[in-house]
Amino acid sequence: MTNHFPIFSKHTPLGQPLIYLDSAASTQKPQVVIDTITDFYTNEYASTGRGSYWPANAASAKYEQVRHQVASFLNAKSDREIVFTSGTTDAINKVARSFVYPTLSPGDCVVTTTMEHHSNYLPWQQICKEKKCELVVAPLNQNGILNTLALEAQLAKGAKFLALTAVSNVLGTQNDVTAIVSLAHQYDVPVLVDAAQAVAHYTIDVQAWDCDFLVFSGHKCYGSTGVGVLYGKTDYLAEMQPANYGGGMVQKVNTIDSSFRPIPHKHEAGTPNVAGVIGLGAALEFLQKKGLENVYEHEQALTVYALNQLAAMDSVTIYGSVEQRGPVISFNLDGVHPHDLSTFLNEQGICIRAGHHCAQPLMQWLDVAATARVSFGMYNTKVDIDQLVAGLKSAYQFFR
Amino acid sequence: MNERIKALYKTHIIEKAKDETHTGQLTDATHVIEAYNPLCGDQFTLYLKVEDDVVKELKFNGYGCSISKASTAVLAESILGKSLTDFGKVWSDFMEIVNENAKASPEQISNNEYLLAFAAAREFPERKTCATLSWEALAKALITH
Repeated sequence: MTNHFPIFSKHTPLGQPLIYLDSAASTQKPQVVIDTITDFYTNEYASTGRGSYWPANAASAKYEQVRHQVASFLNAKSDREIVFTSGTTDAINKVARSFVYPTLSPGDCVVTTTMEHHSNYLPWQQICKEKKCELVVAPLNQNGILNTLALEAQLAKGAKFLALTAVSNVLGTQNDVTAIVSLAHQYDVPVLVDAAQAVAHYTIDVQAWDCDFLVFSGHKCYGSTGVGVLYGKTDYLAEMQPANYGGGMVQKVNTIDSSFRPIPHKHEAGTPNVAGVIGLGAALEFLQKKGLENVYEHEQALTVYALNQLAAMDSVTIYGSVEQRGPVISFNLDGVHPHDLSTFLNEQGICIRAGHHCAQPLMQWLDVAATARVSFGMYNTKVDIDQLVAGLKSAYQFFR
Repeated sequence: MNERIKALYKTHIIEKAKDETHTGQLTDATHVIEAYNPLCGDQFTLYLKVEDDVVKELKFNGYGCSISKASTAVLAESILGKSLTDFGKVWSDFMEIVNENAKASPEQISNNEYLLAFAAAREFPERKTCATLSWEALAKALITH
């Protein structure tokens, strides 16, 4: 599989092969995505939706074709439900600012969970602060799985919105999104699903999940940085005011007032990341050709293998549940700070993540300041994990 | 084990990271300083008792990597008993030692082997903030005062 990814044919500055275990932060890029973006800039570049000339119309057609592709990838009902954004963070902020914020009155509450990334936490915290509302952070059970009883109690109190991740970027916990959305809908609470950690790993079906909004980033599913997707149910996207105003989203502008294009375009003010969107199209096609079922199976096997290898080391503490886990493992090596570990492994060409992983509320819940984290993509193998384990053993000896 | 790692984690650093001589807190501190790195979550609280410009006592506690712990311990040793004015020179030397853009070699700057132990931070710019965390916080707090 690594032969599709040119970076793996290179060596690190210290001359080792690259062992990349940080796909939860960002995935490496397959040649086909790089080629598609280069080809677009080289051979038929123009902005979209504006010029009536070649290559502008070719670019527009490709851009809209990717919208269709994303709709089909997510099993959305219509292309109109797909808005291109600059990433997950941008998409969540749009929903927080333009959909939820106007509905809030002092004393209302918005619910999120302890396992959220800061990007699915801060936008809600800030709008709640501004509107004098309460941000309720639904707790986890001891094993790092969402406590649905406590969540339901909050929803029953009349929450205005629920924002929840599909997969924790720290614990790997894979939430039962269908069940949670259905629970929220019993109390008429709309739900946003942060699928940033799901999109590259298993099949998303927005109709089966019945989520009201779903967001993800291109760079976490083998696409480029700077592009993301906001899926929203038609009525909600239509009801939602634009978060940004500018070119490309208008029907008619005059000095007194203006009218805007229908969805999805009213939510895409300004020149979009056309190359990023076209690259995303190539990335999703690449993923689908590999087959998400195969990717899931491969990464689950790796995760189980890694969990077993790590669990066999007395010096390793693994966080989170072993069940229902995406390809993300956070851990600590006894007596070795994650940053020391990360620097040590880097010298062997092994890339792991160290720190709070943009999830400080979860770190507080775990009662640790930082953890080490490994996460897998389709290109990882058991050999990578064996190298990691060998690296951990020598780090343990070195720092003790 | 490669030589770079050995250089970064010199024996002095590993030794000082485990040294608890100055661990603790002071109830009668004249200065309580928070050193916090938002990027990694490392955090130390420094308690100083300063009388007539002289640092009479220093204790610290908190959480951090070997480099930040060791550099905090070395900071404590370097400042204890000194006047803040005299410490200014040590502080600048330390900052130069870890500065990858400095013209002078570390050995030209100082002959204190504990300060020099951090020179490899020049090769690891991503770890420089670990080395300077408490040093920066201390300077900022004392200047503010």
